[in-house]
Amino acid sequence: MTAAARSRMVRGAQPGVWALRGILVAGILLALLAGLPEGRVPPVWLVVVLVLSAVLSAFRPEHLAMAMTLGVVLVWWAFAIGDGMPMAALVAAAGLTAAHVAATLLGYGPPSLPVDPRLALLWTGRGVLAWLAALVVWGVARTYSGHGTPALFWLTGLAAALVAAVVAGVTVPVRGEGEGE
Amino acid sequence: MNDAPTRWHATSSLGRSLIVGGLGAALALAAGRPGLVVLVAPLLLMAALALVHKPVVEPRVFSTPARQQLHEGQGTRLRLETHDLDDVEHVTRMMSPQPFLAAHPVDGVFGQLLSRGEAVAPFEVSPRRWGTRSVGGEKVAMTTAWAGYRWGPVALMGREVGVLPTVTHVRSGGEAPQPIGLIGAHRSRRDGDGTEFSSIRRFHAGDRLRRINWRVSLRQGTLHVESTRAEEDTAVLVIVDALADYGESEGVGGAASSLDVTVRAASSLAEQYIGGGDRVALRVLSPGGEYAGYGTGTRHLRRILILLSRIRPGIPRDVAIDQIDFRATAGTVVVVISPMLSEPLATATVRLVRRGLPVIVVDPLPPGSTPSAYPGSEAKVAELAWRMRLLDRSHLLTQLAAAGCPVVPWNGPRTLEEVLRRLARRAAMPRVGA
Repeated sequence: MTAAARSRMVRGAQPGVWALRGILVAGILLALLAGLPEGRVPPVWLVVVLVLSAVLSAFRPEHLAMAMTLGVVLVWWAFAIGDGMPMAALVAAAGLTAAHVAATLLGYGPPSLPVDPRLALLWTGRGVLAWLAALVVWGVARTYSGHGTPALFWLTGLAAALVAAVVAGVTVPVRGEGEGE
Repeated sequence: MNDAPTRWHATSSLGRSLIVGGLGAALALAAGRPGLVVLVAPLLLMAALALVHKPVVEPRVFSTPARQQLHEGQGTRLRLETHDLDDVEHVTRMMSPQPFLAAHPVDGVFGQLLSRGEAVAPFEVSPRRWGTRSVGGEKVAMTTAWAGYRWGPVALMGREVGVLPTVTHVRSGGEAPQPIGLIGAHRSRRDGDGTEFSSIRRFHAGDRLRRINWRVSLRQGTLHVESTRAEEDTAVLVIVDALADYGESEGVGGAASSLDVTVRAASSLAEQYIGGGDRVALRVLSPGGEYAGYGTGTRHLRRILILLSRIRPGIPRDVAIDQIDFRATAGTVVVVISPMLSEPLATATVRLVRRGLPVIVVDPLPPGSTPSAYPGSEAKVAELAWRMRLLDRSHLLTQLAAAGCPVVPWNGPRTLEEVLRRLARRAAMPRVGA
């Protein structure tokens, strides 16, 4: 290993890895603080705890701590969101998606693995595509707000989930199907 | 169904999106918070798409064996033979770090987004120091689309590769002091069927007609011929001192330890003399006691290089150095490559000189080099001990020079030329009988 080659790593990680770690922490904070403009202010201790666990998750993206951190954000929103469908939910969804995508990219290899620009671009597209699902749900809920009862929404959602499960059951291949033929 | 255990397993990314997505949906349902569905919808979609891409085929991966032998600084490509990569979107290869093994990519790890039918890119490795190196040990992991499943990481074993010292191709310009063989490129003291002019003398029966010098013959009135010197080969014995290694080695192109210089000097000398048609033998003073008898030709050179690459420094246990029979016959040029920090070796060298053999000591000790001190020993004491050893060494070198044995520092393949010329001139001088 030459000195010039070594210099690309910054404190044991590639610059791209540090950028992803930053995106992960920023995504979690964005998801937590997205309600601030609408007056949804989380307690300081929660912000501190989440910053610490977000930093831990940035260094251990495959650890359960990452899922728990996102879970805590969800629990906070369960208290803060009420019955409404605020715009802040979309921003929070973007933060959660960005943090999840960053953690997924970090999980492809050790910190010494340079971030492949093609892979990063692919996952950016995927993240945006996945976030569109949140936009669709938000848009549908806002459009039909006042046109149906909450029970109707839940029944529609349950039916959609059932249809998705059946479609997935049919299309998802079972291990061994493609072998021995 | 195939019941063989699979190496595919769900990734933490899939687990996280399922856990968080499920938690969000459950909270939304239990607490009547439909807005939470917006938050987890992207994660649920990603989990669903990851599940859709569940793999069905087990990939097969083999590392193609590296070359059995390489030279220092030479590079090779480590390819990965793969089959059944239909479900694979991304491959990560991570090479085990090895001392004196440079890799490209430099950090020994790379990822590749695979297109359908695309081969996995090779690693490029280059051993930086002679010896035996383990090459090709790595871990391979593969990931499906949407990062739902990962195969491995699977460890692939490397193989031992003999790294031969570098050889500098230089034709010998020095003449052997006492060539005694039948073939070769050294100028003999005897006249014979060579190319180098020796004298013009009267024609004798048996002389070749094409050797007649007509101009001199007409002038003198009798036939005269041009005589040439014979060309002969010589025997070269290279004695390698591998009793210890002093200084730090950084591999080819970096700082060299005493043993690095020794091994590279021995390989260069062997190549130089074997290339000139001489017979070369090698004797290594080490626990392994590597020895190659007199021989010539490419195969013999390769044997010498392999023996040099197997050297492990240390003191021979089964033999006293000053008692070794070096099997040097009359006329053999003896090259001792040693920092002369061992008194028994100096004694053995003087014994060879006293037998009338042309002996040259090549000093491989790099300037400013220090030995590695035992852990826990005081730095000042170690420094003092080393200075005392250097004083001993300088005394030994002076004694060797006084005994008629030139000592030269290694300065590339042409180091010995001037010394050999001096020795040849000395050997050609008339001697007074005792």
